[in-house]
Amino acid sequence: MNRRIALFATLALGLTACGGGGAGSSPVVVPPPPPPPVTKAEAFQFLNQASFGATEAEADRVMSMGIDAWIDEQMRLPMSLQMPHMRTLPKQPFSMFQLQKDRVDIFFRNALHGSDVLRQRVAFALSEIMVTSDKGALVDFPYSLADYYDVLTRHAFGNYRDLIEEVTLHPAMGVYLSMLGNEKPDPANNIRPDENYARELMQLFSIGLVELNLDGTARLDAQNQPIPTYDQSVIEGFAHVFTGWTYAGVGDFHAQWPPEASQYTPMQLWSQYHDNGTKTLLHGVVLPAGQTGAQDLDAALDNIFQHANVGPFISRALIQRLVTSNPSPDYVSRVATVFNDNGSGVKGDLGAVVKAILTDAEARPAVVSDTDGKIKEPLLRILQLWRAYDARSDGGRYPIDYLWVFFGQGPLQAPHVFNFFAPTFSPPGEFRSRGLVAPELEIATEYLNSFSSNFMLWQIFYWTWNAERPSDNNDITDDTILIDYAEEMAIAGDVDALIDRVDGKLLGGTMSGMLRQQISTMVSQMPADQPQLRAAEVIYLVVTSPEFVYQR
Amino acid sequence: MKTIDRRQFLRQSVAAAAIAATPGAAYTQMAGGSGAFDDYRALVCVFLHGGNDSFNMLVPRSTAEYNAYATSRQNLAIPRDDLLPINPLSQPGTPGNEPFGLHPTMGGLQALFQSGQVAFVSNVGPLIEPTSLDQYRNKSVLLPPQLFSHNDQQDQWASLKGRSTSKTGWAGRMADLIRAEVPNQQMAINASLHGSNLFQSAEQTFPYVMGAGGPQEFQWLGWWLQDQQIRHRAAFEAIVDARYDSIYERGFAEIQRRAIDAAATVTAAMATPEAQAVTTPFPRTELGTQLNTVARIIAARNYLQMQRQVFFVGMGGFDTHDDQETVQPRLLMDINDALAAFHAATVEVGVASSVTTFTQSDFGRTLTSNGDGTDHAWAGNQLVLGGAVNGRDIYGSYPVLEIGSAEDVGGGRMIPSTSADQFAATLAKWFGVADSDLEIVAPSLTNFAQRDLGFMIA
Repeated sequence: MNRRIALFATLALGLTACGGGGAGSSPVVVPPPPPPPVTKAEAFQFLNQASFGATEAEADRVMSMGIDAWIDEQMRLPMSLQMPHMRTLPKQPFSMFQLQKDRVDIFFRNALHGSDVLRQRVAFALSEIMVTSDKGALVDFPYSLADYYDVLTRHAFGNYRDLIEEVTLHPAMGVYLSMLGNEKPDPANNIRPDENYARELMQLFSIGLVELNLDGTARLDAQNQPIPTYDQSVIEGFAHVFTGWTYAGVGDFHAQWPPEASQYTPMQLWSQYHDNGTKTLLHGVVLPAGQTGAQDLDAALDNIFQHANVGPFISRALIQRLVTSNPSPDYVSRVATVFNDNGSGVKGDLGAVVKAILTDAEARPAVVSDTDGKIKEPLLRILQLWRAYDARSDGGRYPIDYLWVFFGQGPLQAPHVFNFFAPTFSPPGEFRSRGLVAPELEIATEYLNSFSSNFMLWQIFYWTWNAERPSDNNDITDDTILIDYAEEMAIAGDVDALIDRVDGKLLGGTMSGMLRQQISTMVSQMPADQPQLRAAEVIYLVVTSPEFVYQR
Repeated sequence: MKTIDRRQFLRQSVAAAAIAATPGAAYTQMAGGSGAFDDYRALVCVFLHGGNDSFNMLVPRSTAEYNAYATSRQNLAIPRDDLLPINPLSQPGTPGNEPFGLHPTMGGLQALFQSGQVAFVSNVGPLIEPTSLDQYRNKSVLLPPQLFSHNDQQDQWASLKGRSTSKTGWAGRMADLIRAEVPNQQMAINASLHGSNLFQSAEQTFPYVMGAGGPQEFQWLGWWLQDQQIRHRAAFEAIVDARYDSIYERGFAEIQRRAIDAAATVTAAMATPEAQAVTTPFPRTELGTQLNTVARIIAARNYLQMQRQVFFVGMGGFDTHDDQETVQPRLLMDINDALAAFHAATVEVGVASSVTTFTQSDFGRTLTSNGDGTDHAWAGNQLVLGGAVNGRDIYGSYPVLEIGSAEDVGGGRMIPSTSADQFAATLAKWFGVADSDLEIVAPSLTNFAQRDLGFMIA
């Protein structure tokens, strides 16, 4: 990076000098500076932030195009969606369980084979901020979850205000946080509106619990205490706003089993169930009585969108998902500034925000500190391995809905609305004593670490195209994802070449001397006539190593 | 001297701005004696994620109190005749007119209450100081931040941190306090079968997280590759134990190391004859499976040289915003069946008086409904189970379940009349924490007159 910056500076100076020297003679057309050259290591670092795992092929593209142009191209690519696939599935037998597997299948097909890798990574990040999950009532709503994921995918580079409106009116969210079927008060029966969505929308999806500075740090009052963003009266105000909505196209406001299309059609307003009173929102704004449910909803979402917290809150959340657990306040501030104004006066442009996050100097710091980067999410570790090793199943399908058992994660499979892990999680020991967080380590428990290490072992040693596959091996089915390391096996007699190849595919050539030494010592002791075992050992020791788990 | 330093350190780490400094009595022996305990004690925390609607778990049956309850709860009220009657020692009522009842699914706990192994602590919740409705409204007392928010109130129960920025849990602080007294234990003082949690998080001791069925061991290739297995494992461990530049690499490597070591130890413990001998049947539920594992690890306590341990188990689904009438009976039945089995197992193992089980939950729920469910509230009822419990009684004061009463901050959200700190301190004292160290465990205890709620046999 030092070199890159230095080169860039030289180019800039050179252009200035050239322009100066040309003054007075014929006008010089100054070409735009060429994109700064990207090393393979940088390309890997960038792609681990911007995709479901770097591959050498994609790294080559980044190196030849430059990061900015690659991002711009990614944002123009057609989207990999889930519903087009879900619609093709046979309707009988109508099994929700099977359809959830199909939903997971299309997630992994897109993740492994889609070319819109940046969009998918951002959609996944959004799915960890605006959480819905098949763990709970939505287990019976696979179409709803697939369509919800598509909403996140479509809006990944869209506008946050549009996204939050689609999220709010989506039946998946309606079911998950019980806005669906929420009705106006019935004081005679001590019934008041459901507060679930009102609370989590503000706490988790938009502004958070305390007033923030632009840089994401908490504002403090005169007593040095954080300032709450809202109180119970505001929760109740929003709870009243979110009354009157249920499935589209049903004949009963309290319908329990909606037709399939209602699972993916925005919720519909029944005005007789909407509260017509005034509602107190953020900043003391009071919505007048007598508005329609749609007017109330529009105004309430505007009220949230106008809150100064949205920029730093969402920016910091996305930085943590994509780049680093502990961004500097300046980094958050730079991204939040783009959130608040994309340069064309538009607030909430998520495409601009994503680009600001990924092209910030702190995303690829010239001098790496020991707190830069993050723990790679467990699901992203296995995805990176699969992508690097051309993973595919016999049947071409990947309905693996059980990965969360091994990794604590799966697509729309969080245990609750607080996601798989909390953005504030600070493990005991060094993190805590230094005031740092490592959200992903909340699910790196002793238990899940051994499970995920064992999964890697099975994947690499047994679930491969390259191992002998006895016909009675019941572990391998048409749906088992198998990886391919024939290339490594062919050079397994040459230990250094073998390690170089795996280093190149999984670490972008950044393997430490220690790791190389350990692997080399071990593989050198192995019989040379066991190429599969040799190749598997190298890959296994790399993907379970702390340096692979670390997203630099 | 080490002990003094440790305690002073702990005090600083939980010092809340709002809380008066703990009086200086520096060194105190553990209740267990000079440097070591002479017995075995375990606490089992059953965390009910989402906020248990515990005013439907323990319900008044007396006419006036039941009528207030029924009026408030409307369609969510349990019919009086369906409640399983209990008669607490301190207010026994008369046959047919028992003053309280349990949810109809909780027959096992009804029997254990009547036989003296179960107590309830009523209207308990996070508080920093005693709080009245006026004080709540005038903000003239310090309140726990972010009332009614799931994760924040879970954190309050787990940490008792009040308004401080403490990052440790009260079981974690207990472990830090006693760790020097139990140097031979082969397993961490704190063990979780339900994921990472703040409750057991500490400054100096690490909790061990296993699965509902116990540890998952690392697999080191197949038996048919014996030579390679040894090389493979050696390389793997050498990589785990290497020095790393990034804090993230170091953090991950440390967990791997603990995982390798603890899984082997605990797996061996669960394979001992003592552990294998436990025959009490458990329900095959999330909670039942976890408590079955806890019972087997407790049975192997001598193998592991354990004297003090805290288990964390839990189940989710209590956030009953929707469809509560259908969902709640199953949830409470799961608690009942799993806890009754667990108690029976502790009797079988001969440790009923050495094991105390208690519930914690985010918060109670609104007495009012949102149509078919309830929303987040504050105080609730918690359950304590075990042979060392002064059972068959209700501790704290059961509130009048009336909307708009002097204990309702709105919508039927009850202000706690007993603090979670008092609840925790009573358990900590039984566990062996010296009275003068109780503020380390429960920092706000100093603001409450009653340091011991009395539900544990001294």
